[in-house]
Parts: sequence; structure tokens; C-alpha cells
Amino acid sequence: MIDEQVLSDAIRDVAESIEIPEGATERILGASHVATLETRTSKPRVDSPRGNRRRWILAPVGVALLVVGITVSIVGLSSNPSTTGIAGPSRAGPIAHGSASSGSAPLPPSNGGVAQSPTSSGGATGATPSPSGTASPSQTVPPLPSGSVGQSSKVESNGSINLTIGNGKLQSVLAKLTALAVGEGGFVASTQTQVGAGSATPSSGTIVLRIPEPSFATTVSQVQQTGHATSVTTTSTDVTGQYVDLQARIAALQASRQQYLTIMAQATSIGDILAVQSQLDALQSQIEQLQGQLAVLTDETTYGTLTVSLVEAGQRPIPPLPPRTGLDKAWHDGIDGFVSGFEWLLRIAGMTLFVLLCLAAVVVLGRWAWRATRRRML
Amino acid sequence: MNDLEAWLEEGYPRSFRTACLILGNRFDAEEAVQEAYLRAWRFRSSLTGESDIKPWLYRIVVNSCNSKLRREIPHRDRRSGDDELAGKSTIGDTPTRVALSQDIVRALQDLPLHLRVVVVLRYYADLSEREIATAIGRRQGTVKSRLHEARRLLAEHPALQSQTDGNSADSGVLQ
Repeated sequence: MIDEQVLSDAIRDVAESIEIPEGATERILGASHVATLETRTSKPRVDSPRGNRRRWILAPVGVALLVVGITVSIVGLSSNPSTTGIAGPSRAGPIAHGSASSGSAPLPPSNGGVAQSPTSSGGATGATPSPSGTASPSQTVPPLPSGSVGQSSKVESNGSINLTIGNGKLQSVLAKLTALAVGEGGFVASTQTQVGAGSATPSSGTIVLRIPEPSFATTVSQVQQTGHATSVTTTSTDVTGQYVDLQARIAALQASRQQYLTIMAQATSIGDILAVQSQLDALQSQIEQLQGQLAVLTDETTYGTLTVSLVEAGQRPIPPLPPRTGLDKAWHDGIDGFVSGFEWLLRIAGMTLFVLLCLAAVVVLGRWAWRATRRRML
Repeated sequence: MNDLEAWLEEGYPRSFRTACLILGNRFDAEEAVQEAYLRAWRFRSSLTGESDIKPWLYRIVVNSCNSKLRREIPHRDRRSGDDELAGKSTIGDTPTRVALSQDIVRALQDLPLHLRVVVVLRYYADLSEREIATAIGRRQGTVKSRLHEARRLLAEHPALQSQTDGNSADSGVLQ
């Protein structure tokens, strides 16, 4: 065993031979000044018991908030329902019809109107989408009161409904819609059917119904009951002003014609008669043109146009495959097992991530507490 | 107590040499002591009484050395500074004395860290066992047993054994 005194002397000899680095104390003093300046310019560090207590309170609160946030995000992701792009009646809000009828058709608020094509040639359906948001002013402005301009309000209604019906029910639904239109006092303007070429292309058809204006809204509702409505669009346009204007212009032209007839009756020369006759022909042409426009407008305001597009639902049921046996069964069972295992891994990945985040939070908190404890012990 | 310059004047040389003996490298020791003094100055409010300053300061120095050994030095060659410490001889030193210094340094560096620390604190820093216990955060009995173990290992160290064999007759350095 080494003698303590000897060992002490030897170690001291070694230590005393170590030279003290020049300027070391000055460097420490300088570093101390820099640290003091940084402390003054930066936020002062709180080492008081109150500060420690605050940290001890804030740290668990932070961890709790982190855990709650992660939990909410995981739950939110797992319970987020899938949204469908179908604008069905359930998402639609009611809109006011321009007519005085009590019914109101449910409409998707952002769906574009559907313009009716006058032709019904074979092939694709004749409907073409119009720009979205084409709601006419009459949808938001209350309908004009009857007789406000000496004329009952004239409203032109158009609608489009896409229906999905059961397999093989196309003809029966067409017949039902025809009966519905006739029952309401209307008629079928055109029909078009397309028989499916197999299971991939289901049968479809389009029927254009002309419905009396007072029954238009109720008919829209009834048509929706005949199948699964995937899209409903109606537009109503108040054409009272245009109607009255046409009537006034026709009346004025007729008055002019009457005057020309009076002049013609008093004419004596051939030249006068020919001149008046020429004016009468021009007037008559204008009157007939305007009367034609008025007739069209009357027809459109008397009967609303409802275009119904029908599509048979999906494919026909596929007959069940014969049960697998032998290697085929083993192979497919193996693939199913692999897919199931992968799905299971994906499912637990979320929970594992959550647990790892919690553990990381605990480790960070523990490390911080350990450092704080060590600092206090110093 | 509130004057860092006074602290440095009084304690820096001894602290620096203590760190040198623990770390075996002047540059690491300088950094460790600087860090220790800055930390001590920063947390000087936690010091309760004037009498406790010595072991308290040594505790911070030892902790700084421990941190340096744990964080930085494992990535370097820890024996690179041994010769530097042992090779410093002054005019008038006998060859035997220089050789003994080198052997002492080598034996110290071969001691486990926890034993090296108590040996340096006891036989160079001249701390009592109670102060060492305060400095390393252990009980006094632990310090005693570590000192005993350290002396036993030093006596069995080959470098000091050769000194015993070659010089015991004339100088009586080691018994």
C-alpha cells in the first residue's frame, strides 16, 4: 500500500509542474461579462421557486394538450365519413317557385340548370349542362303579385331530374311518368330510350314532360318518387313583362292597321290604294310575328317542361363463382391472409405512433426535470 | 463571495490542475474549469455559506470534468495528453523525480474515473473526506472505501512497482 504522504507529495509535484494557461482567468471574466449582457438583453431566466412551480404546472398541461390533440386528430381521421359527389335531394335546400303553387321543389344549391334540347334523336341524351349557378332572379325575388301590371303573372318553368331506377324497370317507369303527366293535364313531348348493350352499359332513357304550370312543382315531387333521384334542377323565369310588352305592341299594330284600313276605304286612286296596301302588308307581317311570339310565350307559361333522365341501376348480379378447392383455394387464402395482415399493420400503426409520441413527451419531460433537479443541486 | 475575480485569483490554479489530473489534458481542463466557474458564478445564489464554497466549487469542477469525459473525450484519443502533463519538468528536477512524475500520471490515468477523482481531491486539492463526499455527492464511507481501493490499485500498478523496485532502497518514495 502506498504511503499517503508520499503519494500526496508525488501528485503535488506533478500538479505543480503543470503550467497555468496565460489569460485563462481573463477569458473567464470576459465570458462572464458576455453572459451577463446576454442575460440582461434577453428574457431573464427565472430560477425562483415560483418559476419552478410554474414550470411544473405548465409542463403537464402542455403534455396533456399534446395528448388530447393527438387523440382528437386520430379519432377525427378514423370517424371522417366519406362524402359522395351526388347532389341528392337530401342536400338540397328548398327554393321558392315563381308560380303561385304551394309546392316547392328541393334543389341542390350549387347545381347548374339543365337546358332542354328540343331534339330527341337516338344516341346520347339530349341534355347539356349549362353554367353553374344559373338561378334566375325569380328564385330569389318574390313572385309578382297577380295583376300588378294589369296582367296575371306569367312564369316559365323548366326542370331536369336524373333518376336511377331498378334493373329492367325502364319501360314501366316511362309508362308511369307518362300516366303522371297525363293525369296532371299535361302530355309527353318526347321520349328516347337506349337499351343497354350488356352488363357494362345499363339501359337508359329520357322523357320530356309538359306539365301545366300550376301542377309543375307537385309533379316534380311525384317524379322523384319513381326512382332514386341523383340530381334535381328546376328553373323558373317570370316573363310577365315580356308578355305584356308583346300584347301592347300587337295592340298598337292592330290599331295602326285599323287606321290604314280606314284610309284605304277612302282612297280613290290606284296609287293610293297600292301605297296603303303595302303598309298594311308590313303591319300584318309584324302583327303575325308578334302573335307567334306571344303564342310561344303563352305555351311556355302554360306548360312547364320537365326532362327526366332515367338510368337503370348498376350491373346485374353476378352469379356466384364455384367454390375454390385445392391449390387455388390455398393460394387465395394466402393472399387474403397477407392483405388482412397488412391492414392490421396499418390499423395499429396509428396507435403505435400515438404511443410513441406520448413516450417522447414523457422522455422530454423527464429529461427536463432531471436537468432542473441537477441545476438545483448545484 | 460576490467577486468572480477574487474567486479566480484564489481558486483557479488549483482547480485547473485538479481538472488536468482528472482529464489528463490541459486544453480539456481549461475548458472544463472555465465552464465550471461560469456555472458557479451563475448559480452563486444557491450557495448557502462561505465555508461551503470550496467543496461546492470542486463539485462543479468535477461535474464539468465528468461531462467532458462523457460527451466529448470519448470521441477523441484520451491518452493524447498524458505525455504533456508528465513531460513538464523544471530546472533542477532529478531524472528520478521526472520519471516518478510520469509514472504517477500514467498510474492516475489508468485508475477508474471515480477513483481518480477522489485521489486527486484528497491528495492534491487537500479536501477532507467529508468535503470530498460533498463534492462528489456521495457518503463519507464511500469516499473512504474509494480512497482505499485507489491506493491499492496504485500500489499494484506496474509503473509504480518499478519505482518501488528501483528506488525504494535509496529514496524510499514508495513503500
